Amino acid sequence: MMPGAARVGVVAVLAAALAGALTGSAPGAAARSTSGSITAPPEVASFRSTRDYPDIPVPVRLRVPAVRVDTALQPLGRNADGTIAVPADPDVAGWYTEGPRPGQPGPAVILGHVDSTTGPAVFFHLARLSPGDAITVDGADGSTRTFRVTRVTRVPKDRFPTDLVYLPTLQPALRLVTCGGSFDRAAHSYRDNIIVFADLA
Amino acid sequence: MPGYAVRTIPRTSDKRAARDRRTIAVVQTRRLLLRRSAVTTFLAVVCLLVAAAAAVSCQAPAPRRSAGQPVAHQHHEEAAPPPSAADAALQLQVLLGHHSILAAELMRGRLRGDDAYTKAAAAAAEKNTQAMASLVDSLFGPAAAAQFTELWSGHITALADYAGGLAKHDAAARDGATARLETFERTLAAFFAGASKGRLSQQAAQAAVLMHVQHLLQQADAYAAHDYPAADRIDRQGYTHSYAMGKTLVAALVTPAQAAALDSPVWVLRSELSRLLGEHVVLVVSAMRAGLTNGPDFAAAAQSVNDNTRELTAAVGSMFGAPAAARFQSLWADHIDQIFAYTTGLVTHNAQRREAAVTRLGTFEAQFAAFLDQATADRLPSTTLAKALLMHDQMLLAQADALSAKQYQQANDGTYATYRHMTDLAGQLAQAFGATVASRLPVGGPHTGYGGAAASVEHG
Repeated sequence: MMPGAARVGVVAVLAAALAGALTGSAPGAAARSTSGSITAPPEVASFRSTRDYPDIPVPVRLRVPAVRVDTALQPLGRNADGTIAVPADPDVAGWYTEGPRPGQPGPAVILGHVDSTTGPAVFFHLARLSPGDAITVDGADGSTRTFRVTRVTRVPKDRFPTDLVYLPTLQPALRLVTCGGSFDRAAHSYRDNIIVFADLA
Repeated sequence: MPGYAVRTIPRTSDKRAARDRRTIAVVQTRRLLLRRSAVTTFLAVVCLLVAAAAAVSCQAPAPRRSAGQPVAHQHHEEAAPPPSAADAALQLQVLLGHHSILAAELMRGRLRGDDAYTKAAAAAAEKNTQAMASLVDSLFGPAAAAQFTELWSGHITALADYAGGLAKHDAAARDGATARLETFERTLAAFFAGASKGRLSQQAAQAAVLMHVQHLLQQADAYAAHDYPAADRIDRQGYTHSYAMGKTLVAALVTPAQAAALDSPVWVLRSELSRLLGEHVVLVVSAMRAGLTNGPDFAAAAQSVNDNTRELTAAVGSMFGAPAAARFQSLWADHIDQIFAYTTGLVTHNAQRREAAVTRLGTFEAQFAAFLDQATADRLPSTTLAKALLMHDQMLLAQADALSAKQYQQANDGTYATYRHMTDLAGQLAQAFGATVASRLPVGGPHTGYGGAAASVEHG
């Protein structure tokens, strides 16, 4: 003989099961008592909001097959005068660390020299890139992200489009920047910049 | 930085005390609200929202014009000018995003056999169509708006019929709906291609419309097969695509000079924030609906909420760094946890649990406002933000109440108002975030050449 309380419980469970069958309750619906209240903890009670998000690695290598670029990446910051630092080695490109990492939302910026004092440097052929060309960036964790060139522009240095190059858009993108145009020997500087815009493939 | 209205709010010595007072006031307000009945609370909030939404909504009746007037001269002298390309694109994105959610909800309601929910979703989709038609009217006149309305309403009906065919395992009904949708794709593509004056090819327009329809059909197929993770993944893709489609369409429908505004970083940032924050609202409401009925689709819906949170956090991280992202996510997660704790309180009829959730939300609002104030170097006034976040939470809780009471039409109206509230807030956030990042950007073009190959570079 079942105790009274247990019998009440069994009847309640059977009634709930029967009610579920009659009303065509969807699978996963909580058991309900005869009064209609849910007796099992509802799934929503176990909800916990996520406390993590994708960790995009620091970029360590850049490859641009169309212009035979395959280079390590050095971290770049800003100089005291507010200008961006440039790679110390003309044969190595650099990633601007105060912006997004390649693959994070927003434009990641990578700089490289077009030439040294003696000859061509790592980004010598950058201006030859065309829309659709592939750019890959290796992360410190061994992962690789591929970008596709969307456009290539040449702009005067004194009208450099800071907003288009650096400002956040939340769309993972890449900007490759080097020098171009004519060389001002008095100022020891090229007059223009070449900017390659690329989106995550 | 051009394009940003930088606003600086001076700090005051008693700022912390003021925040504390606001926190107390927020909690007291919440407690008062909680003591009212759910319906009373909901109605009070909706009244506020309707008034607020009316001020910004594109559902406001557009000025009528004579159909006989040339398009270029159709706007009456007293009529409001048509929206700028930037505003029109944002409005269309917001409306298309909401449409994609409503269409999916309509189809899912039919698949669940929930007639009341389906009927309310259909009514909300119709309101959304009217809002889009008003936007088309403001850009191209009433004849174009009427043509658009007929086409757009027809495709919603066909989508609902497809879901009905799925629910009843009626292949003929599905095939019939699919055939009507294919006709719709071609006709609507021709409509947009024609309106673009050749800037958008029929092929490109049809590809965009086809993808929109495919997302909706595929999410319904997955939902019918009880593959809820796939259904929600496709639904999110469809929502994201609707924002891309909105930009593509407006970029083609206006002149190239006007369309250039859609490439400005601040516009893109605002659009992306609108997408993510608006999605936060519709995903939370969808998960609340599933949670309130303890439906089998709750786990997937909750996962989608978390995926959106990860995207928002990644966005904050890319602009403000990892420590800020961690702080943001902690606060944001607390906020969502309490929304679902409140929902749990509704399911279990536990008033104490609901009240505790409301109290904790009051803490979140003040803390989150303070976080944004600090992250943006005082460009976002925390008082205004706290009020906005308070309203956001009240709106979400009111929708939980309405869904719990199966007041689906009220819930849908509230969801739209909440969605609009967040997409509008995204505009303020984009301004402040953009200006904050702009203030620390490098100056000028980099010097990345020494002239050793200048002859080759100059002629390269």
